[in-house]
Amino acid sequence: MRRLPLVLLFVVFAAASGDDVREPEGFWSGPINSAVPATITGGKAIHAKELARLLKQGKPLVIDVSNEPKRPPGMAPDAPWLPLPQEVIPGSVWLPGAGMADIAPETDVLFRKLLAQTTGDDHDHVVVIYCHERCWLSWNAAKRAIGYGYRRVHWFPEGVEGWRAAGYTTAIAKPWTLEAH
Amino acid sequence: MGMMRRFFLIAACGLGAVFCTHAASADDEAAARSERWAELQRAIFPGRTIGDGAGVIQLEAPPRALDAALVPFTITLPGDKQIKSVFLVIDNNPGPLAGRFTFGAAADPRTLKVRMRVNTYTDVHAVAEDSAGNLYAVQKFVKASGGCSAPAGPNAEQSTSNLGQMKLKLVSEFAPGEPVQAQLMIRHPNFNGMQMDQLTRLYAPAHFIRTINITYDDQPVLRIESDIALSTDPVITFGFKPSRQGQLKVEVTDSKEQSFVREFSVPAATASSTL
Repeated sequence: MRRLPLVLLFVVFAAASGDDVREPEGFWSGPINSAVPATITGGKAIHAKELARLLKQGKPLVIDVSNEPKRPPGMAPDAPWLPLPQEVIPGSVWLPGAGMADIAPETDVLFRKLLAQTTGDDHDHVVVIYCHERCWLSWNAAKRAIGYGYRRVHWFPEGVEGWRAAGYTTAIAKPWTLEAH
Repeated sequence: MGMMRRFFLIAACGLGAVFCTHAASADDEAAARSERWAELQRAIFPGRTIGDGAGVIQLEAPPRALDAALVPFTITLPGDKQIKSVFLVIDNNPGPLAGRFTFGAAADPRTLKVRMRVNTYTDVHAVAEDSAGNLYAVQKFVKASGGCSAPAGPNAEQSTSNLGQMKLKLVSEFAPGEPVQAQLMIRHPNFNGMQMDQLTRLYAPAHFIRTINITYDDQPVLRIESDIALSTDPVITFGFKPSRQGQLKVEVTDSKEQSFVREFSVPAATASSTL
């Protein structure tokens, strides 16, 4: 009898974690904010606790691939443009654009350089990629990193919201650039 | 959590503060929100003080929005102060000043309704400016997310092909000399550059309404300055004071410098422009 709630919990969890969403063949080019699959071929989907453990144990390269809000052309010159500061998992690097289905060539270069520089070209270095909950950008970027040949790519689908919900703190980041490093 | 506060916490937890299990408390959240509002006041109303808007201006908003791309707001001015304009500020939108509404001689400013995009959980402020230039604000907290990047709906194509078409409907009884409420609908996709077309999988370039100017028999009624927060196919409810039967004229300009003009005979306004 005591097992029943656990079973129920598992069923609810399985239903909520997007088991019904299949991995697409290539990069996902549909709506960015929609249900994501539970898996990523060639990599590993992880939860907040596992990410915290990875951060405690070593120096994984953690990348937030959320897009950056851009001021649209045509706004009144005096209209304020004040996006909220980017809240990231402490210790992570923010690389906007790395999760787009059609990545900009300069972002592709940046993404490869970030991976190569930070891991010392070690394809067995632990890499963690995230954005937000229900956000395909991290899935795409993780798939991309796997495609570059990284063998220990971790995908954190719960995103910064899941990180916060698990009780961990966040930090503020600016987009990563080559100049800054 | 406030920026300084947040910085302090991070510093206090040490570098690489990943295991510092500090969860943002309700107090921190409240502090962050009021700090954001202070920042926006400096940006939008530099050097001015803003008084409590209780009794001057009211804001109605859903606590949790059903559709973040279509969040309804109702602004009412219940007091007897002469209010010349109203600002609607959606604090946590990247472009926080969602709209500025300036009332003219033929306006009945008591009730105004609009629908806006809301990007994330946010405070929303409605600020009234009286004829002496004093500011009064009220606020509401709205839970909504993803309004700015919500995919272009099935109507987007229709909105683009019928760009600038309008419809006006009187929503209260017309009587010369008496205030009347009208609902204006404008066909415009109001793309902010973050919507993806579901068919082409491409981002629609930004294309949004900048100004809406409404007059009645050449008397100013309402001027709206807006940008990307305004929803697709905006619907605006406003009041005006027609001294007699006449012509309500609406002029819309958008971010591509296109302009659209429609005139409606009042009171026979219901079906003046094809839609």
